[in-house]
Amino acid sequence: MSARSIRRGVPRSGGIVDVLIYTILIVMAIITLYPFLNVLAISLNDSTDSVRGGITIFPRVFSLQNYKAIFTYDTLLTGFKISLLRTVVGSLLGLISASMLAYTLARRDFQGRRFVSLYLAVTMYVTAGLIPFYILIKDLNMMNTFAVYVLPGIVSAFNVFVVRSFMDGIPYEVQESAKMDGANDFTIYWRIILPMTKPALATIGLFLAVGQWNAWFDTYLYNGSSEHLTTLQYELVKVLQSTTNNSGDYRSMTVNRAASTVSPDSVKMAITIFVSVPILLVYPFLQRYFVKGLTLGSVKG
Amino acid sequence: MATKRKWPSLILSATLFAGLLAACSGGNDGKGASSPSASPSASGSSSSPESASPSPEKLEPLTLTYYSEDVNPNWANMQDDLGKAITEKTGISIKAEFAVGDAEQKSALIAASGDYPDLIMAKTSISKFVDAGAVLDLTDLIEQHAPNIKKLFEGQMNRLKYSKTDQAIYVIPSYDGIGQQYFEAGGGMQLQHRVVKELGYPKIRTVQDFENAIKAYLAKHPKDENGNPNVGLSLIAEDWRMYIGVTNPAFLSTGGSDDGEYYVDIDTHEVTYHFRRPIEKEYFRWLNHMNAEGLLDKESFVQKYDQYKAKIATGRVLGLIDQKWDFDDGQKALKAEGKMDQAYGHYPVTLSEEYKHTAFWPTGFTGGSGIAISVDNPDPVRTIKFLDYLASDEGQVLVNWGIEGKHYNMENGKRIIPADIAERRLNDGINFQKESGLGNYNLLSAHYGDGVKDPSGNYYTQRFPEQLISDYSEVEKEVLSAYGATIWKDLFPKEDEFKLKPWGALWNIPIPSESDLVVLEEKLKNITWKRIPEAILAKPEQFDALWDKYMQEIEAAGVEKAEQLRQELLNERLALWGS
Amino acid sequence: MKAMPDRRPAAEPLAPIRRGALRRAFRNRYLYLMSLPFIAWAFVFTYLPLWGWVMAFQKYSPKLSVWERDWVGFDNFRTLFQDETFYLVMRNTLAMSFMALIAGFTIPIVFALLLNEVKNMAFKKTVQTISYLPHFVSWAVVAGIVSKMLSTDNGAVNDLLMALGILDEPIQWLAKGKYFWGIVTLSDVWKETGWNAIIYLAAMAGVAPELYEAAKVDGASRLRQMWHITLPGIRPTIIILMILSIGNLINIGFEKQFLLGNNLVVDYSKVLDLYALEYGIKINRISFATAINMFNSVVAIILLFTANGLFKRFTKESVF
Repeated sequence: MSARSIRRGVPRSGGIVDVLIYTILIVMAIITLYPFLNVLAISLNDSTDSVRGGITIFPRVFSLQNYKAIFTYDTLLTGFKISLLRTVVGSLLGLISASMLAYTLARRDFQGRRFVSLYLAVTMYVTAGLIPFYILIKDLNMMNTFAVYVLPGIVSAFNVFVVRSFMDGIPYEVQESAKMDGANDFTIYWRIILPMTKPALATIGLFLAVGQWNAWFDTYLYNGSSEHLTTLQYELVKVLQSTTNNSGDYRSMTVNRAASTVSPDSVKMAITIFVSVPILLVYPFLQRYFVKGLTLGSVKG
Repeated sequence: MATKRKWPSLILSATLFAGLLAACSGGNDGKGASSPSASPSASGSSSSPESASPSPEKLEPLTLTYYSEDVNPNWANMQDDLGKAITEKTGISIKAEFAVGDAEQKSALIAASGDYPDLIMAKTSISKFVDAGAVLDLTDLIEQHAPNIKKLFEGQMNRLKYSKTDQAIYVIPSYDGIGQQYFEAGGGMQLQHRVVKELGYPKIRTVQDFENAIKAYLAKHPKDENGNPNVGLSLIAEDWRMYIGVTNPAFLSTGGSDDGEYYVDIDTHEVTYHFRRPIEKEYFRWLNHMNAEGLLDKESFVQKYDQYKAKIATGRVLGLIDQKWDFDDGQKALKAEGKMDQAYGHYPVTLSEEYKHTAFWPTGFTGGSGIAISVDNPDPVRTIKFLDYLASDEGQVLVNWGIEGKHYNMENGKRIIPADIAERRLNDGINFQKESGLGNYNLLSAHYGDGVKDPSGNYYTQRFPEQLISDYSEVEKEVLSAYGATIWKDLFPKEDEFKLKPWGALWNIPIPSESDLVVLEEKLKNITWKRIPEAILAKPEQFDALWDKYMQEIEAAGVEKAEQLRQELLNERLALWGS
Repeated sequence: MKAMPDRRPAAEPLAPIRRGALRRAFRNRYLYLMSLPFIAWAFVFTYLPLWGWVMAFQKYSPKLSVWERDWVGFDNFRTLFQDETFYLVMRNTLAMSFMALIAGFTIPIVFALLLNEVKNMAFKKTVQTISYLPHFVSWAVVAGIVSKMLSTDNGAVNDLLMALGILDEPIQWLAKGKYFWGIVTLSDVWKETGWNAIIYLAAMAGVAPELYEAAKVDGASRLRQMWHITLPGIRPTIIILMILSIGNLINIGFEKQFLLGNNLVVDYSKVLDLYALEYGIKINRISFATAINMFNSVVAIILLFTANGLFKRFTKESVF
């Protein structure tokens, strides 16, 4: 049997099961596609017309004004660059930290294993609160820096545990043989284990990237007054908040109305699309790691 | 295999290195620009205390950091026309940061951190900063260096003081303008023009009139042209919109003015939680009756703001109880389709003829939110002079009208806006604001209100009656003239029909942070927001029982204590302002 | 069919403590080097700021430093536990998180299993990509869509049910408290299933193909393969995620409940985090907010340990 046929074939007997599976999946795809198409349609629709509602998956009165409204803000470019930078740097740092820690925890012979696992797990559930953390950042002189985007969050216990659970599936012989060849723990980690945990890395990488890309609250809290460090999401949230009004301070509403001809809801939709697109473009490259049958097989190696 | 491995690790290290570099340089950059100590201004403050004339030392450039709880996405870092003009005149430029979304949190953080921006505009959160000792007392600064501000607030200086126990002036009010007159009647109850037209312009004075008009029209036209049912009255009650659509109208239509959640008797100054007024029970009973008659939109308490606006935009909603700025998006959609007769008119509807609609009850100058100077400010004297400039006649015209020749022209002593500017302002609002800066600086300092004229006989601001009328559609003008009015405000009781409230407005008195009042009011609000919709949607026979239960609940929750605490605050303010 | 035998070396028996321990530590030196920096990091950014918890026992004042403020002991906690709203809010929180826990595990796993069975790459990739799109749509937008669909005014759900004859009159779904929990759970499933399934799909990708081959040779049906190979293969992942989720049982945030709720169902929609916001930070009661925060963290830790212990005992898998 060639490798090809192994990957391909299941005996034809699963006919009805196949149909059932495909049907369910198609239904799920339709249900989950709808909100996104709806948002896309409204974003491409004239805003005054959108207020009338009733738009489903096609724009009724096609218009690019919502996107134009976003692009009138020239801080977007800086935001885009910074967001991109922090996504790349933050994800890489997070990947290294998670995989390295996961490796040490996956090694049953590591003494500190139980303690470190416990120590990390607890970090997931205790929060000090906004004010002490804010003061910490201030005391570390990380206010108004790029570092505050990528440094504090380097260690994520959740990511560590996910990667570790993947690493637990790697047979020990692999490490044994490497050790016999004289490799130290770090080399084993870097050269052998890491390449074998690609699905895990892809998954965590995706979560990290999405988290970094969508982050704006830290910009708001720590870098609010530095335009050169603004992030894309933060700029868009600013646009959004300016047109809608969440505060109960309705009395200053009349004083504060900026002249705007583009209704807020359609801008909200355009923003959603605008921010999602990059992730959607990146995802297909990661997707192959979630496909069955790609990774293991190095047992013999 | 070894060589194949090298590439990824090289790229990896390079990226990390770049990232760390960016981190370090970003740090220095940001820190340098925003730290006040870097500015070369120390020399300025030792100048002579005399004020009015712009002395040469004023023009040394100074950058101040500014934090505002309000959003302004059109801020262009003072690179707009107005910004440049202001910087030229005063030497000051501003680095601004605006709060996004829930500003309370951000303000709490800044107050807690001990590191304050130079200028602070924290609306009701100012108490956080006062408690932290973050803001300066401006009394002397105003007295010595700000003649224009002094002139503006002449006779009202007491209203700038923080409280009876702390008579410092922390804030220069910049929201409320001196001499403010309101021309636009955006409230009351609204009826579509076609409804009043078809019924021959009946008198719409009481809730009964309002109800009859809706009922009559609905009977003749239960569905619209697409077969969808018309809706009599639709309310919006999502989150804080409950105030606008459901609870505030209860006192506005029963002779109470806006004092937040309380009613203050104009003669005795007694404070009552306004829902406890027996007459308001009758207002909500009327709403319950509307519901029972099928005239109230069943979805009023479930629908989201978008749905509400969409419903209005379909033209099916005959009546509203709302504010224009809230439902205008829906109305604009109707107007864009040319359905002018399905737009809304504003009527001063009250519970019965014995009450006057209180939308325009005069409060006098209310003080309130404004701008504060923090203790970290490098040069408070220059700052106050800057604020003073904005409050001067010259500054006011600049900020409201723009630069002569560019944004307006003087023709025969009158300020005229050229048609192309007006058009741009209407249709290209965002870009216009960013380029010109008009609208960016109004809230930075004290100012005159709408309707006040400057020494040249022109209005200070661009909001005045003649302008309103030009926005009306033909149908609207027709309806107005049928009721004998030119603007909607004509239908409403005028300011002089009411006694001036010597306390301004109860809702903007700052509450000391140790007070129990905040928790009490939160509890009361939660009970009220649950029970009122329940009472309105219940069967009429159950209304009284539910109302009694509601009254008992708020009593158990401490409403009388809340009233008493508010009474104390009111009395303090009366004492503070009265003198 | 069993999973691969576990051939990792067991933890070595405890030899004479001192010398044995040091020797082992030396052998593990790289592992220590690799983990210590991150441990220190976590200390600085997570454990160190916990000094802030002391504010729960003080009367917070921004002007005074930590040492200067008044101590109020357990007053804040007393206020919390004496407030009947607190218990209502806890009930709502727990109810919705249990439902979310069950739905959030079963459905994504089933979805991942189904998707895993698909042989056509193009179809598989497309469906997977589509499935996680709702994750990127904000709750505000999703809440708007759900509201519209459940509306009595031409809402899709009511229209459909009436057309099928199940209903005579439209139901105001969002006005009835008893439906609220279900609506929130279903909305969450809709929005997050695709995204949550990603981890499971990745884990399934790691199951050795040889196992499936052997099973097929033995004549196992697809269903049996799923049950005996795929599921056990991702068992560690499932268990880890379950333990971690149980820890978060009361930390479910408030955004979706707030956006989907309204004043008619407030008795069912208000959750702990919203309560903390309304009675804590929003009205500047920092100490009270810190007290609730502490409560949250402590409960979460207790849940974590309990879940971990139970799973360790019954399934031999655990987080620590």
